Amino acid sequence: MGSVLSTTPLSFTAFQELQTRSRSWLTFCGTQASMAARARRLCLRVFVVFFSPDSEQYHLSFYTEQILSKPLQKPDFFRLSELVSLKDLFHARVHLGHKKGCRHRLMVPYLYGCRLDQDIIDLDQTMEHLQLALNFTAHVAYRGGIILFVSRRRQFGHLVESTAKDCGEYAHTRYWRGGLLTNSSIQYGKGVRLPDVIVLLSTLNNVFQQHLAIRDAAKMNIPTVGVVDSNCNPSLVTYPVPGNDDTPAAMELYCRLFKMAINRAKEKRRQMEILQILSSSSTRKS
Amino acid sequence: MAALCKVVSRFRCGVWSFRFIRNCSGTSGSDQPAADAPRSGFAAAFDLQSELRREAERTAAGGSSSSSGQQEDFASLLRRSPLVQMGPAKGRTVVGRIFHVVQDDLYVDFGGKFHCVIQRPEGEEGLRRGSRVFLRLQDLELTARFLGANTDTTLLEAQADLLTQLDARQNQNQDVEGTESDRAAVK
Repeated sequence: MGSVLSTTPLSFTAFQELQTRSRSWLTFCGTQASMAARARRLCLRVFVVFFSPDSEQYHLSFYTEQILSKPLQKPDFFRLSELVSLKDLFHARVHLGHKKGCRHRLMVPYLYGCRLDQDIIDLDQTMEHLQLALNFTAHVAYRGGIILFVSRRRQFGHLVESTAKDCGEYAHTRYWRGGLLTNSSIQYGKGVRLPDVIVLLSTLNNVFQQHLAIRDAAKMNIPTVGVVDSNCNPSLVTYPVPGNDDTPAAMELYCRLFKMAINRAKEKRRQMEILQILSSSSTRKS
Repeated sequence: MAALCKVVSRFRCGVWSFRFIRNCSGTSGSDQPAADAPRSGFAAAFDLQSELRREAERTAAGGSSSSSGQQEDFASLLRRSPLVQMGPAKGRTVVGRIFHVVQDDLYVDFGGKFHCVIQRPEGEEGLRRGSRVFLRLQDLELTARFLGANTDTTLLEAQADLLTQLDARQNQNQDVEGTESDRAAVK
């Protein structure tokens, strides 16, 4: 599992961001609407941290440390448990799995049972896993991480892309080239910033084959959040969420939840920064 | 002699009646201080009605919490869901809603995991996106195990036959959006 939650040195990633900003290609297929805005913000922070006098540099890095450490003190800092209830999951048909013959042996612990040959996924377990996954994604978004939504289900491609656009993150719903993560420095140039978490809304390419993103993300130490149905392999997924990935109602629910979690986290970050700026300016005046 | 006898007998009767009256008053007097006197008339009716009202309130308060508690539980939600109450899908009639149309192919969602695809019948031009139809289900998911395969191959579709189109006027009584609970009608 990657070291996303440990404090990665801000200067290193920001320097990479500066490098990538100078080029004008797309790192991933998908919308880049807020990439410029994000780069600008990071640049501002880098500028302030690097080029300010020593006393101010100490103060500001202290404040940044405070912003980064405060959410980790509470288990549900963004109050994501109020976003979804078991009834919502039930009415979105999240508990419906495939037929008994399609079952993957590693999904058996997540199943409630089998009714008339159709697997039923245990929604109590799904609730716990979903809370963990949403919390993790929100924390990554809070720290300015890049989130990549991946799904090769053509039925939901547009939905996934619009979800990513609405929360200012990235999506990849087309053909996955082999070296996209593992060969990125050659395929896309040096100093490419890879995603900090990959959210897979469907872990299968087609019914026979698992999506390459799972294996490649595991190779590159990128944590994954994945919705695993009863015919999927949950092994390499860091935060599996057992649930239905075939019904439009369920997919819309997942997209809405991830979007709300990410937006909440980003709002919170903006609020914390504003508060810190206000408090630091007041201390400087006094 | 007869007069004496009559007097004596009258006296005896008086004594008996006096004793009877004394006994009655005695029994009633001894019972009045006790609380569980068998009441009659208005008092008894009042007691009965107030007790009934208390019991009704208790069951109402306790029943609502217990029923909402039951409904929140996944097991009871599953047990009460129309999909489970329906039983085996083969031959059941359900109501579906068309959510996508591709020329002659109608994609109908009836509240199961998958949708079904049916051919538009000859001359039926009224079937468009959003219209409700009656379906006879054959299978909730089309799967088969082929030779040499580890798992079933699934088509990610259900199979159903189109019966008739549900008239819009008939539908006004149960026109509630969204959940599977109002999609499946058991025949």
